Amino acid sequence: MDRLADVSNLRSSQSQTQISHLALDIGGSLIKLVYFCRYDDSCRDDGDELRSQNDSLCSKSDNSQPVLEGRLHFAKFETSKINDCLDFLHSMKLCLDVNSGSHDGTAPPSNKIFIKATGGGAYKFADLFKEKLGVSLDKEDEMECLVTGANFLLKAVHQEAFTYLDGQKEFVQIDPNDLYPYLLVNIGSGVSMIKVDGDGKFERVSGTSLGGGTFWGLGRLLTKCKNFDELLELSHRGNNRIVDMLVGDIYGGTDYAKIGLSSTTIASSFGKAISDSKELEDYEPEDVSRSLLRMISNNIGQISYLNALRFGLKRIFFAGFFIRGHAYTMDTISVAVNFWSKGEAKAMFLRHEGFLGALGAFMSYEKQCLDGLTVHKMQQKFPISASSAGDNIYCSLNSNSDENGSIECTVYGT
Amino acid sequence: MDCLVAGANFLLKAIRHEAFTHMEGHKEFVQIDHNDLFPYLLVNVGSGVSIIKVDGDGKFQRVSGTNVGGGTYWGLGRLLTKCSSFDELLELSQRGDNSTIDMLVGDIYGGMDYSKIGLSASTIASSFGKAISDKKELEDYRPEDISLSLLRMISYNIGQISYLNALRFGLKRIFFGGFFIRGHAYTMDTISFAVQFWSKGEAQAMFLRHEGFLGALGAFMSYQKHGLDDLMVHHLVERFPMGAPYTGGRIHGPPLGDLNEKISWMEKFVQRGTEITAPVPMAPPGTTGLGGFEVPSSRGATLRPDASALNIGVLHLVPTLEVFPLLANPKMYEPNTIDLSDHKELEYWFTVLSEHLPDLVDKAVASEGGTDDAKRRGDAFARAFSAHLARLMEEPAAYGKLGLANLLELREECLREFQFHDAYRSIKQRENEASLAVLPDLLLELDHMDEEARLLTLIEGVLAANIFDWGSRACVDLYHKGTIIEIYRMSRNKMQRPWRVDDFDLFKERMLGSDGKKPKPHKRALLFVDNSGADVVLGMLPLARELLRRGTEVVLVANSLPALNDVTAMELPDIVAEAAKHCDILRRAAEAGGLLVDAMTNTVDGSEGNSSSVPLMVVENGCGSPCIDLRQVSSELAAAAKCADLVILEGMGRSLHTNFNALFKSEALKLAMVKNQRLAEKLIQGKIYDCVCRYEPAPAS
Repeated sequence: MDRLADVSNLRSSQSQTQISHLALDIGGSLIKLVYFCRYDDSCRDDGDELRSQNDSLCSKSDNSQPVLEGRLHFAKFETSKINDCLDFLHSMKLCLDVNSGSHDGTAPPSNKIFIKATGGGAYKFADLFKEKLGVSLDKEDEMECLVTGANFLLKAVHQEAFTYLDGQKEFVQIDPNDLYPYLLVNIGSGVSMIKVDGDGKFERVSGTSLGGGTFWGLGRLLTKCKNFDELLELSHRGNNRIVDMLVGDIYGGTDYAKIGLSSTTIASSFGKAISDSKELEDYEPEDVSRSLLRMISNNIGQISYLNALRFGLKRIFFAGFFIRGHAYTMDTISVAVNFWSKGEAKAMFLRHEGFLGALGAFMSYEKQCLDGLTVHKMQQKFPISASSAGDNIYCSLNSNSDENGSIECTVYGT
Repeated sequence: MDCLVAGANFLLKAIRHEAFTHMEGHKEFVQIDHNDLFPYLLVNVGSGVSIIKVDGDGKFQRVSGTNVGGGTYWGLGRLLTKCSSFDELLELSQRGDNSTIDMLVGDIYGGMDYSKIGLSASTIASSFGKAISDKKELEDYRPEDISLSLLRMISYNIGQISYLNALRFGLKRIFFGGFFIRGHAYTMDTISFAVQFWSKGEAQAMFLRHEGFLGALGAFMSYQKHGLDDLMVHHLVERFPMGAPYTGGRIHGPPLGDLNEKISWMEKFVQRGTEITAPVPMAPPGTTGLGGFEVPSSRGATLRPDASALNIGVLHLVPTLEVFPLLANPKMYEPNTIDLSDHKELEYWFTVLSEHLPDLVDKAVASEGGTDDAKRRGDAFARAFSAHLARLMEEPAAYGKLGLANLLELREECLREFQFHDAYRSIKQRENEASLAVLPDLLLELDHMDEEARLLTLIEGVLAANIFDWGSRACVDLYHKGTIIEIYRMSRNKMQRPWRVDDFDLFKERMLGSDGKKPKPHKRALLFVDNSGADVVLGMLPLARELLRRGTEVVLVANSLPALNDVTAMELPDIVAEAAKHCDILRRAAEAGGLLVDAMTNTVDGSEGNSSSVPLMVVENGCGSPCIDLRQVSSELAAAAKCADLVILEGMGRSLHTNFNALFKSEALKLAMVKNQRLAEKLIQGKIYDCVCRYEPAPAS
């Protein structure tokens, strides 16, 4: 029902909106965009209610700085299709306030336009952006952005975090004053595990190369699926018992109770595939996908828990594009954390899981030219147009199950 | 799981050099104090992975595990590569390049390191992360690359989870075992790398030489609970017989039942022109030369799958072996003076032993009457021993940590395996007879000297007589030039002090005192004797006699089994008896020590009241090598050592190759003539035929 970022709509309405701030997170597999659109008058039909809230916020402002009101939008592209992203940005006719303060006319627009960017691609594609768009990428540290983004979301956005167990989603209200320390597990192509102790205080304590890229990469090789979501979809219908060796397979169906393993516990992922009698073609792609997903989710859950334990962290937040709100993935991670911690730790997820880095990069403008980004609590909106847009031409990745709406917010410009 | 833990505990406690680390193709043995073994983490990598915390015998807990294990590697590998066996898959990985399929940090960062968090460009960011590309299908990837990527993914993951669990329980040691590991160099390397990477170098992965037998060993122990539990490391001797034709740790064919089978099997190999792959494997032609691990890098290059295959010997339980009680610090004791892990050193000894081989075979065949059967066995022995040597050159750690003592022992073992019980038997007899014939003259000469001159002459005599050593090439050449007594005289006349290592004055002061004060004689001296013939008869016996004369009990310590021309404990009583015919001191002492039972009855008949002599005794040392490892000596020797206050080690094998640096609780005198140029240079910065007379007083306290 809601769209992560409905680009076609944005495009059609670009006469009314203006992207004033943009930040990128260019990862190994995906490019994540966060951009801020100012409200024009024509855009104000969202309701008077908003207005009044904005006013009240503005009134709190103790100076005469211009206040920009609008929405934060989220979009993503495959890194391998970076040209689509460039086209998109080009078509948006970027009108960036960044680094120039040009919006109040006090200074001539600088020839040098900077965009905040993070992720490895900020280095890798810097020249490409310069060449194609004439913008320079202002590189922000990847981990720092992740943390900034996560801190922002957890503190500012209501009902950002939730647990997911046995199909039950439960929102967790987190007291912003009692947020730290926590473990942030960002599952992108690979996985980074970051211990966060406060704003700007964090350490990458671990990670694993078995991440989203592994699921997709191995999955593609094993199933011929065309995209990540198709692969995820397949896993829904699969049965991992066909491929995995379970404890019951080894101990003849009885639980190996002595060491606390039930007969359905996976003893060895893909352990049944060692059988000589079956080849790859003989396995259902659904079963393979399921087994793969469990292997990776379970592993991430386990390593995360071990790291949380090591540092005595009670909260583990999982984010990154691997999860994309996929019920079974979250379920498996939750089960793994639950299993290894014997019920003492809980996995938590973030609604804007994929955009932490981009958001963090966006927030870094704050340091230079934005005085503040205030989120209107309870004002998160999903783009109205989402339901009408059938196809998202720029995002080949569907995001049906995502709940990442745009966020209503106010930016205080300099 | 009980079995697994019991097996691991047993191995780690009972076998020396059981555990080793494996980094970049380099194996290093770790000596673990069995009193400080627990707690440790045991990671068994089978289909899945079990992680077990072991706190003591029978005290353990499965603390973790992972479903990503050997089964995952093999299962996924089969689906992705069509390999038909696990070994084939592993072998593929060694030719692979995982950068074609893994997404590396450098791929994301445009070739740069992400140095801020310590990730280099070559770190794997996402295993199989490049396979998401639309452009390539499964068929477009090399199976080699897939296998490597898979292997790294799984090994790193196991290493990481193991390390995190070790950290969690504060365990400093992690031992890895299971079929996934089984001596595969590359697997061990990747796991070691992971543990090192995640622990920032603070933890090390360790592996077990006999790990393939953990479960079985444990099961065996479980119905032997009594008895084997209190086994100590010094009770076990590992031997490497040619039990079955095997290469790379894999057995091909049935065990070789008897000697004949062994010989014909060796011959078959020669007929076929095949390289001898038994008793231990040699490299398939063209992979690695004598240089061994030429490419020990973990970065892809070639490691033979069996490059790390370890030779597992048969454990012989010898419950009568004990640690020599006079060792000052048994835990720190290292018998070998020269570490053969230095490849140049190994190469040198390899050459020495190879050159000596034909002569040894001649002697061995002659000792068995020179029959056709003896010749066949001699040939087979030569081939088998050469194969052992070749294997060692290629993979020095194949038999555990290697010292010269082990190498020499291996040769003797090998001789015995082909039923040459005493290759030098006739030579020893001849030399003993010749030496005994001139002994009376020598004793007479000594008795005419004053105490001081006599002591010097005696020590000179020991050093001079030590020249008679069939283990030394230089010496074998000498034999062709003169008779025993000629060589002995020449040798003694050339003795000129100061010797290269000369503590004689210190020793003299201890024996004779200074300023007219007479020191108390030693209570009991242990004399570790070396060669037969002049060495023992003209060198050590007169010295023993002098000690006896001063009221010191003397225990002659000799080998239990023949090795070269070393005198054995079996032979000594006859020699002593013969010598006693010409010497009253020796006779009475031998009687007192029970060496001359027949003579003793005569004495009683003759009612001579001189049985008050201190005893001269003979004990076996428990070994059959020219060198001696004092951690494993016979219980007889251990008992005899209890009240000894002087240890005299004689000969290169016992006092230079081994024990040169050994420290004792008692006084120690180490005497040897260096009959090897290289050793002379290396050890005492001297020349061949230099002498060592090292005296060490008992440590204070």
